[in-house]
Amino acid sequence: MIQLIPFVAVGAGLLILLLLVLLRPSAPAEGSAGALVAAKRTLESLQLGLLPAGLVEQLFGQGDLSYISSIGSKDLNNLFLAERKRLALAWIGKVREEIGVLKEFHVSQARMFSQMSRWTEISVALEFADLEFQCRVLQLLMRWRGPYAAPNLVRRTAATAERLCAGIDQSLAFLTPRLPTSVRG
Amino acid sequence: MTVGPKRADVVAASEDLKRRTLAHTGGPLDRLIYLASMRDYNTGLYVHEGLADRFSPEVACEALANCHRESFQELTQLGLEDLVAQLGLYMQATGSAAVDFIRAWKDLEPYRVAVPAGTETLLSDFLFSNLKVALEVLQYQHSPAPARSQAA
Repeated sequence: MIQLIPFVAVGAGLLILLLLVLLRPSAPAEGSAGALVAAKRTLESLQLGLLPAGLVEQLFGQGDLSYISSIGSKDLNNLFLAERKRLALAWIGKVREEIGVLKEFHVSQARMFSQMSRWTEISVALEFADLEFQCRVLQLLMRWRGPYAAPNLVRRTAATAERLCAGIDQSLAFLTPRLPTSVRG
Repeated sequence: MTVGPKRADVVAASEDLKRRTLAHTGGPLDRLIYLASMRDYNTGLYVHEGLADRFSPEVACEALANCHRESFQELTQLGLEDLVAQLGLYMQATGSAAVDFIRAWKDLEPYRVAVPAGTETLLSDFLFSNLKVALEVLQYQHSPAPARSQAA
């Protein structure tokens, strides 16, 4: 009877291992549809929500500031500047976060779907690094000197992000359904 | 498989809504508030009986949602000066006294529930922030002159 104990222990151990393997959460397959759709959503959020030139101009342009200054109330001026600083930091934080998501996607998935040359991959990686750096600099400048600290850098960052998004969008173009000619606006 | 309303019908319903109803509103802020009031808060669906009779409830819902998004976009594209003017016009149209209107809008922030579903958070935040500043400007403009000179 005692001789059976090691065999029972080994059997129990194997059973536990089998259970652990079965209960393990499944890892996403390379190039899974979920990752693609998430990347597409992030792109749309950037291209339609955060990067349009109109929004960037409204947030960082001088028009509203001139109007508020012309009223001549210190309280209004302070309120406006505080609100714009909050929005500007939220904008740059969101752009940075979503660019980070796209970078993750690019590093882990993009090679599965696009016919990218090694050179293109390196240049995209450099653009991601450049953008990350610009975002960090902008965050620091805005915290320190407010929303109107570096309008040209803001425009440059938005343009770089827009260009990068356009490149990634091309490699995900197959996810955008083509409308028949008869219903195109 | 459920099939959504036809795009051509939705476009026709949107045109109908713009011609018959929205053309008579004062501006994008009026339109935003009006269209948001057409939305059932429990379901998120837009209801307009006249439009639903002429087209169908689904087409009417889609058309109202599209117009709602358009007026939101229009409003977020306004500069602060134009937004203050819009707010002033809307206040006049409600017939409320300036002091009551401004107090109610500052306390209740009714514009927060007037945003179309699925709007980018930063965009709605941008509009809320602009409206907050616009309300302060309006209050400043309606305050008596001595109070203004103290604030300056």
